[in-house]
Amino acid sequence: MTALTAVACYLPEYRVPIAELAERLSLRERDIQLFQRFFGLSQVCRDPDGTLTDLLLAATANLSELAGQERRIRYLVYARGSAATVPYPLNPVHEVAAKFGLQHASAFTVTNHACANGLLAIDLAGRLLRADGDDDGLALILTGEKTFTRDAELVPETSIFSEAAAACLVSAKEEADRVLAYASSMKGEFDAWATSREEAFARYSQAYPECLAEVLLAALAQAGLSWDDITLVLPHNVNTVSWRRLAKRLGLPAGKVLLDNVATSGHAFAADPFINYRTAVDTGRLARGDKYLMAAAGLGAVFSAMVFEH
Amino acid sequence: MTEQLIDTDLRSRVVTSMADLLPRILKREQVDAAEETRLFDDLGLSSTTTLELLLELEEALEIQIDVEEIDQDDLDTVGSLASFVAGHALGDE
Repeated sequence: MTALTAVACYLPEYRVPIAELAERLSLRERDIQLFQRFFGLSQVCRDPDGTLTDLLLAATANLSELAGQERRIRYLVYARGSAATVPYPLNPVHEVAAKFGLQHASAFTVTNHACANGLLAIDLAGRLLRADGDDDGLALILTGEKTFTRDAELVPETSIFSEAAAACLVSAKEEADRVLAYASSMKGEFDAWATSREEAFARYSQAYPECLAEVLLAALAQAGLSWDDITLVLPHNVNTVSWRRLAKRLGLPAGKVLLDNVATSGHAFAADPFINYRTAVDTGRLARGDKYLMAAAGLGAVFSAMVFEH
Repeated sequence: MTEQLIDTDLRSRVVTSMADLLPRILKREQVDAAEETRLFDDLGLSSTTTLELLLELEEALEIQIDVEEIDQDDLDTVGSLASFVAGHALGDE
């Protein structure tokens, strides 16, 4: 069994209205209108004076369940969307380990599932902990990134990235929140970002709804559930229009997809499902025993969905 | 049904307006936009340029379109999009 036992996030207080980013991102007024009117984007988080390490430290500090459990952490996994996030030889993961007394843990990064890496990390952590046969072990997963470059700020015609982070604990023994299913689909044919970006992106955009729908249905089937059994979908916050269309396609009531954070904090790379988890729990939208589904898509491209029982 | 009669008038204005707007959106001098012209396959519109077209239609016709219910089928042809717009225009018509 794999269980997500605690989730915390950190959203910097500073917000930038997306209209203020237009000039730097070479966006037309019309592009901003599209983002605002149809994509549901309004502002994004920025932490202008903070480093990536600061973001990850802040999320970890908010994970109160870690206090006193440091010796139990066997793995420290940083799940990031971008291939490179800091200049060599900086390593924010090791800085977090040092700050929280986790140097004994095996620390590593997963990147190849892009913004779907958070779900990969949960699955991987569960497998590693089970393989160890050590019921007491825990894994600490970190997500969240800085928007250093234009490519790290903007997904053309789709979304604007946000600087925020999440930290969570995974156990192979505890009961809640138990992972019921995990489905992931890697579509390498869309990995042409550096060579033929526009053409690859057009193909990706066209294939996106079907690929994501497939993986959501696969996770649901694996869990032996139907949409009626699912209380909430905790999505990646790429935009609202794509999720509303997907919900319609799947016969899923749009109100079951938690989209509250798209407007208020934007798309925080792989941290979105965890940020949305906190919103769901903090606003009382998940009760004990409720089933929910986390979903994410990563450029390159990977589509993933994980079903949990709260 | 009265509603349909109002829609028919708006719908024909939407079709005319689309023919005016498409050359600019597609950055082409001439665009053949008949009822049955397919937006993606014939004209080369994308999901995003279609939304841009909706924004332009809102401005040109001084309407607001409720896009919450828009479906892939609505984006099939000039005619199907015009029907969607006419059926989902919010305003004081």
